[in-house]
Amino acid sequence: MKIITKDIKFLLFKARKIGINNKTDLFITFILLVGVFATLTNFLNWIFFHANWEVVSRNLNLYIIGTYPKALSWRPFLWISIIILLSFTTLLKKLNYIKKRFIYICWLLIIPLGIYLLAGGINIIPISTNFWGGLSLTLILTFISIIIALPIGILLALGRQSNLLIIKKITSLYIDCMRSVPLIAILFFGQLLTPLLLPVGMEINRVIRAIFSFSIFVSAYISEDIRGGLQSVPQNQIEAAKVLGLNKYQINKFIVLPQALIIAIPALTNQAIGLLQNTSLMAILGLVELLGISRSILANPQFIGSHLEVYVWLALIYWLVCTIIALLAKKIERHFSKSLNFQGDL
Amino acid sequence: MRKLLSSIIGLTLLISGCSSSNQIGKSRLDIIKQRNQLICGVSGKIPGFSFLNTNGKYSGLDVDICKAISAAFLESPNNIQLRPLTAAERFTSLRTGEIDLLSRNTTFNLSRDSQKGNGLSFAPVVFHDGQGLMVKINSGVKDLKDLSNKSICVGSGTTTEQNINDAFEEKSLKYTPIKYQDLNQVIAGYLQGRCAAMTSDRSQLAAARSSFKNPGNHVILDNILSKEPLAPATVGNDERLADAVRWVIYALIEAEEKGITQSNINQKLDLAKDNKGMKPLRRFLGIEGDLGEKLGLANDFVVKIIKTTGNYGEIYNRNLGPNSQVYIPRGLNQISKQGGILISPPFN
Repeated sequence: MKIITKDIKFLLFKARKIGINNKTDLFITFILLVGVFATLTNFLNWIFFHANWEVVSRNLNLYIIGTYPKALSWRPFLWISIIILLSFTTLLKKLNYIKKRFIYICWLLIIPLGIYLLAGGINIIPISTNFWGGLSLTLILTFISIIIALPIGILLALGRQSNLLIIKKITSLYIDCMRSVPLIAILFFGQLLTPLLLPVGMEINRVIRAIFSFSIFVSAYISEDIRGGLQSVPQNQIEAAKVLGLNKYQINKFIVLPQALIIAIPALTNQAIGLLQNTSLMAILGLVELLGISRSILANPQFIGSHLEVYVWLALIYWLVCTIIALLAKKIERHFSKSLNFQGDL
Repeated sequence: MRKLLSSIIGLTLLISGCSSSNQIGKSRLDIIKQRNQLICGVSGKIPGFSFLNTNGKYSGLDVDICKAISAAFLESPNNIQLRPLTAAERFTSLRTGEIDLLSRNTTFNLSRDSQKGNGLSFAPVVFHDGQGLMVKINSGVKDLKDLSNKSICVGSGTTTEQNINDAFEEKSLKYTPIKYQDLNQVIAGYLQGRCAAMTSDRSQLAAARSSFKNPGNHVILDNILSKEPLAPATVGNDERLADAVRWVIYALIEAEEKGITQSNINQKLDLAKDNKGMKPLRRFLGIEGDLGEKLGLANDFVVKIIKTTGNYGEIYNRNLGPNSQVYIPRGLNQISKQGGILISPPFN
């Protein structure tokens, strides 16, 4: 008898530990568990037994390369494979200094390589951006926009901290304007108004217009993230640098920016993931990136009505890509945070 | 200072030169031929009209129209670039010259055609769409009258809602509208049996029906509640291009009237060559006269069109016919001989 009460007491203790204090708690927990269980079984049941995944399996190529010419489809595939390979080596392997340098250079080369492989040029057949699509278009839109927006964002952040009133006002105005307009409005402006402002016959291609719109929008947000980093660098470090005789450029380059950027990494990762997801807005502006191509596939009479399958599949791809980006960012953060350990010891 | 001034003047001249060279009397038709490519704006998201097939190529009725025009202009249906466009950007893309031709389920109406409106130039209608009603076959509903005092699923705040209201009011019948936000919800409501009928454009009803489990259990009524003539469009101030496009469409219709198909075009061609008396056929196929040249096309442009896409009936059946997945009864889209309203002016 004693042993049983002991057991019950032990169970009650365990229950309290995970947050169940009384009967009401137990009841709510039970209801929630049943709800979760029912939803999950229904969903899994649908995924494995009811869903018709033909719409995904038969169009697998299209999701990745879009309407890219079939004979040359190895080019976007090669690019994406290299990205995947590079991500995995970066994430999994413990690397020494030289290999780290090598991988760092590889990442920098990914964007020019992507442009070269997709667009063509020297030695390989040029392909118009109109044929780009699917995951490869989503990725290239994200990568190029970020790589353009980052330096602009840094300059804007520095500009906002500037002592020169004009620069300060102009950058503030730009940042505030960009942040008070929804992204979709800027995208519409880029896609619909810029062609009207250009002389007849002159045409800026739609992908470049999209990249431009994304860059000017995201740079404003990036600059705010970096400003947060800049302001968290202790003022006494700057004063100390001044005492040592460094000029403003040197102070920013050697002392303020390296620390500010590292502090801003989590926020910047957020922007990158946000941007990747925002590229899906281009689907309503006629680009056939991941979401756009899915909607075109759904219009195929053979696959009418498979909305659910396609959107679940899309969610999976977006989740996968975003997770990889998040993990990479975590790795970078951990790598640099070592160098920040002395912060505050001054 | 002088350097600055001269460079500004130079730049202005350069830019103005760029912009004017395209406008002086040169038709878009010449640009298309020079470029050897037709850039065609499509939707890419409408079942049966333009969608992406599993090979990564666009197909559908709108796409076939583009192919026919490309065959007539450039002698090859492959010199064609299809750009998926949304409803918002379609007119801008046309006006700025990003595309040569819009073949994207565009309703032909006055304000789009007029100079002070969108300033487009419409080709003949390639598909007469219109609002229709779909009911379950075993409900016994055959006409609008049978639906009196019953409920109808409809998308709210659309012209669709207005039209069904007008149609019932005109016949002083009563009905209960059950309103939903978008088409997918309307379909779901209809399938759950919340209403006796659902209403939308007939092409959309057909597409929706093909996704049902038993499409045969549902029928689209013959009643047409609104006019939605869908036509390809070109820029308004380019008569030569508009004429050429117009007569390519007419050629498709005329070929069906004359019974010329993709499979018998060669026989018809031989027949016309052997019989000097068959003047209209000889003119139509370009063996005699200069009809094509007058449009700025090859004289045998009709032959090239039919060889690539077939006549209008063949295009229709391939994409929207009884054997396709999106079956829409031809109805108004029959040629006039068969009781429809498609007719081509004479090729004289």
